[in-house]
Amino acid sequence: MSDDTKRSKPSEKMIELRLPSKLGYERVAMDAAASLASRMGFETDRVSALKTAVSEAVTNAIEHGNQHDEAMKVVVLLTVRGDELIVSVTDQGHKTIDEAYVSRVPQISEAMKRDDKGGWGIWLIQELMDEVEFTTAPSGGNQVRMVIHLER
Amino acid sequence: MHNGQTSIELIFPSILGYEVVARRVVATFADFVGFDQARIDDLKTAVGEACINAIEHGNQLQPDLPVYITSSYDGHRFAVDVSDTGTNPLAIIKEPKTIEEKLAGAASLRGMGMMLMAALADEFIVEPSAAPGNTVRLIWYQREVAHT
Repeated sequence: MSDDTKRSKPSEKMIELRLPSKLGYERVAMDAAASLASRMGFETDRVSALKTAVSEAVTNAIEHGNQHDEAMKVVVLLTVRGDELIVSVTDQGHKTIDEAYVSRVPQISEAMKRDDKGGWGIWLIQELMDEVEFTTAPSGGNQVRMVIHLER
Repeated sequence: MHNGQTSIELIFPSILGYEVVARRVVATFADFVGFDQARIDDLKTAVGEACINAIEHGNQLQPDLPVYITSSYDGHRFAVDVSDTGTNPLAIIKEPKTIEEKLAGAASLRGMGMMLMAALADEFIVEPSAAPGNTVRLIWYQREVAHT
């Protein structure tokens, strides 16, 4: 159990998921988040947005942070706090996210000129989630904290 | 093609309803490694039962007590360990009543979980955890598809 799980407040409910750094396992995180969000009462389109954001965050952690090293884990914390769901994705890698990627808005015209059409993940996460924060975890890896609010 | 052993871990609070997340996580993992839908349905039912047992009996519905799941696959064997952290041992019913006997009032209508898990999994083991608590181990083996 991670330190974050141990520190959960009485009003919070926390689920921790640990995945190998292998592409495809992001589906497990997507479905865990979707299952919890549906249980909380999120609408289908919001659940779909959440799944996309979680997929991008876990894929980034596998590919960039953990460099596809299957022995390294991606830790996904799902915290229910009142009417919000907080999803934190942490890798164990030492390749930090380039600050430029966090703030830039990708241009389709530029992307189409490149062989690699990727690079949309961080922007997509920021568009889809209500709050997004990129930090370094106490363990040293990258951490993406995403919040989605339940609107009643 | 699957190479080597892969595992995932899940920790969740002892709150009824959260077993749905566990069922979905294990089902997605099983689907990813190639189990067919019928076996995934069995697996979801058995894992759900194991989680409810852990929440209700092992952890006595105390939300701050976690339920631990470790699921692993080595290319042939798919194992799911569901562990509680409580001190209430899971009762093993050696001669369970039939559904007819239960309906006739000879026993509680509940208490079918262990039978169900034993029937749905290829192997079913209940043992005390190394730490306080119980561990239910459910195992399924990947079946060879017959080619005609």
